[in-house]
Amino acid sequence: MTEFWIIDYLVLALILGSAVLVIRIPNLPGATMALSAVGTFLSLLFVILGAPDDAHSEVVVGAIALPVLYLAAIAKVRADVLDEGELREEGEQDDEGEASDRR
Amino acid sequence: MINIDQLYFAVAIAEACVALLLLPRIARGPSVSDRIVALNTASTQAALAVLFYAAGADRAIYLDVAIWLVSFSYLGAIVWARFLERGLI
Amino acid sequence: MSTVIVVVVAVLALVGLVFSVSGAVGILRMPDVYCRIQCSSKTITMGALPALVALVVGEGFESAYAARALIVAALLLTVNPAASHALARAAYRAGVPMWDGAVRDDVKAMKAAEAEDADHRHGDRPEDRREGEHDD
Repeated sequence: MTEFWIIDYLVLALILGSAVLVIRIPNLPGATMALSAVGTFLSLLFVILGAPDDAHSEVVVGAIALPVLYLAAIAKVRADVLDEGELREEGEQDDEGEASDRR
Repeated sequence: MINIDQLYFAVAIAEACVALLLLPRIARGPSVSDRIVALNTASTQAALAVLFYAAGADRAIYLDVAIWLVSFSYLGAIVWARFLERGLI
Repeated sequence: MSTVIVVVVAVLALVGLVFSVSGAVGILRMPDVYCRIQCSSKTITMGALPALVALVVGEGFESAYAARALIVAALLLTVNPAASHALARAAYRAGVPMWDGAVRDDVKAMKAAEAEDADHRHGDRPEDRREGEHDD
């Protein structure tokens, strides 16, 4: 059972990489998408640790429902501030908060 | 002769390595669409890794997670595409 | 478990892994979002199918693993093209630019022809690109 440790540390590296990406991406939809990646790989880790029921709920909640809720919040706030044509993806230059620290 | 369970574990590790190979595209996709593409591919690879891990560990109850992962990655892609097109509300 | 089955499973899984790695490298290295969608759609599906066939061969056709593997294969075959189509269409409508070396853009040419036709018919300015979209 030596392979268990290899895949365990590999999936831990995946989760850590995605979780660093959540706070490093300066773009709000991109950070939400990295959060969805965290949920997907966390479900994989739950399967490997032997908890498939937690993996089910993690797939539904952590990979889909929570990012969609964040996305609805982002879209609603931006739809109130800007008009519809400005819902663009590339890191926005006319927003005040998250565009200043763009790489 | 190699055991077939060890072969299944090796394939699961390799699929997870492919998912690790996709993380730089999630990190620096120029637009959100690149990140969606990389995330869908990583979800497919995670489903394959779950399937092979379940076959290697001889636990048939792990298999349903793979079906959930595949079908919900489609749902997530549709939601993201709708967000890109007209803003989700 | 005989040796032949192990060898067949190893060969099929290796073929699938080669396709998966080439698809991942393509997603990393392609210059454009549409090229990346193409890599994600075709190559990843082609990489997933031999691995699932390997699982069916290795565990026997009447086991639970083979049934779930076939369900996952059917889901991938129906769902992955639909998701790729929706993503490409959304990316085009959101205005993600093409690569500089891209040589044709059929939707833009079609809309230009439609706008010219409408302009020629009753001197109106060309309409908005969201409602003049061609639906394929």
